[in-house]
Amino acid sequence: MNEIKKYINNEYFYFLILPLLLISIYLLNPSNIFLSGNELSFVSILISCFIIEYFIQKAKGGGDIYMRPIPAMKAMEEAVGRATEMGSSVLYVPGISGLDEIDTISGVIILGHVAGMTAEYEAGLHVPCCVPIVMEAARESCKEAYLKKGRPDLYKDKMVHYVTDDQFAYAAGVNGIMLREKPAAIFYQGKFYAESLILAETGNSVGAIQIAGTGSSSQIPFFVTACDYVLIGEEFYAASAYLSGSPEMIGSIKGQDYVKLLCMLFIGVIFLFSIFNYYEISTFDIMNLFKINITN
Amino acid sequence: MFIKRQLAIIVMMSMGFLALVSYFLNFPTLREFTDKDAPQWYMIIAGFAAFLGCLNLLQLHIQKVINQQKNWQYSIFTLLGFLIMIVFGFFYKNVDAPWGAHLKDEGSSFYWMYNYVYLPLGSTMFALLAFFVASASYRAFRIRNFEATLLLISGVLLMLGRVPIGAIIPWWIVVFMYTSFIFAIIASKIKDKKVFFVSFIVSNVIIILLGVYLQWYLSAPLFLSIPSIQEWIMAVPATAGARAIMIGIALGIVAQSFRIITGRERSILGD
Repeated sequence: MNEIKKYINNEYFYFLILPLLLISIYLLNPSNIFLSGNELSFVSILISCFIIEYFIQKAKGGGDIYMRPIPAMKAMEEAVGRATEMGSSVLYVPGISGLDEIDTISGVIILGHVAGMTAEYEAGLHVPCCVPIVMEAARESCKEAYLKKGRPDLYKDKMVHYVTDDQFAYAAGVNGIMLREKPAAIFYQGKFYAESLILAETGNSVGAIQIAGTGSSSQIPFFVTACDYVLIGEEFYAASAYLSGSPEMIGSIKGQDYVKLLCMLFIGVIFLFSIFNYYEISTFDIMNLFKINITN
Repeated sequence: MFIKRQLAIIVMMSMGFLALVSYFLNFPTLREFTDKDAPQWYMIIAGFAAFLGCLNLLQLHIQKVINQQKNWQYSIFTLLGFLIMIVFGFFYKNVDAPWGAHLKDEGSSFYWMYNYVYLPLGSTMFALLAFFVASASYRAFRIRNFEATLLLISGVLLMLGRVPIGAIIPWWIVVFMYTSFIFAIIASKIKDKKVFFVSFIVSNVIIILLGVYLQWYLSAPLFLSIPSIQEWIMAVPATAGARAIMIGIALGIVAQSFRIITGRERSILGD
């Protein structure tokens, strides 16, 4: 019995045997319990999750995890500090989507960290929301951050307020806040559409230090042009883990980086095979392995 | 405390796990729940939150007006707009259409306000985007370093390639553009200005003579056609960059979702 327990507790079982076992069960598909056609998605998600979990466990066990410095994240505290020195407030824009978007969730999570900084520095915080349910989540996040920093007295419900559901009316409302209050630091963290440039350019015109982060790839160029710092791509999703500083969260970022490395290797292999196919050295079409047949 | 913390975390983790599992399991009932029922639950909760949002808006602006806080005058317009739309939506319709249907009746006051006040205001904000694009482009295209220069050149080529005038730019002008770009890069290596100038002129003349010999004036190679260069920029370097970002975003979403589903990321619940 002890032998079995010892074997199960072994990390090889968790991170090598277990995923292989799950993949085998999925591919064998006993009693037709799995949908056929989603094999590639299943394998990719499973491998990604196990790699991330492996690095989380490694970080929890005290493993040395190096994180490359991300300027936008370092600048967050500087921006709040600057706002405090100037006696101005910090404006936080959580995007225009609801909580059913992962970008908005990430935005609200980062808001918790920024609220912690404003509580520490005693800077004013202003969070205009486009979706009422986001307002409620943002309030909860801010309230908790102020409580954690031991400054519940500084938190006020009106810090986080509703503006409107309409995209351009919201942009007009937030622009009005920027022009009237002249915040020293502006954060754009969430899901943005066409209003991104309107907001970022207005923020630029009032001279605020601006830090943006979004998963909307079409809006990234606008933010890059108008903002001082931008969290591009996966940096945005890693921000909350990075700012939390907890080893297991940082471990997950390391795992994510290794999944990225794996993707790069696959791209390299596909590239090589494409060259072989082109010169008719090999007839094996590797692309067939990576074609997704999504079953809805 | 249990409802606010542990229960919320349990609901968050289980819903995330169910949504993921339903994508792979051949279990239509579960799929039905995650695809239809769960979003409806979200919509119901969001509906209640919308009521809270309206209350919050009213409360905030009424307080501003009553206490005559800074810029309280703007709040009067917000409150007026809010009340006018409520009156036209619930109490005064100005048409014979039944309540509810009057919102889409062209003769109703609500429709008039929507069509002639709300929509033009929204369009005005959207139109402002053109001016913001101009100011942002000016800032992005300022030549500060090599990357900004590349951005400027590709931006100019894209703009030229997308308008009719781009197609009628002759091949020898494109040759001149290429040589200018190459000489701009190697300019710092050639100290003697005379040598530099003569090399530039001679290079242009040689390539143009070669083009005449190869009859490029009848059919120019694709790399000397501005619309083709524009197409190449969009199809190759721009797509490659966009895909790299998309892969990063997808991986970020996977990692973030994993942290949420496993209950490690609890800040969203204020934990």
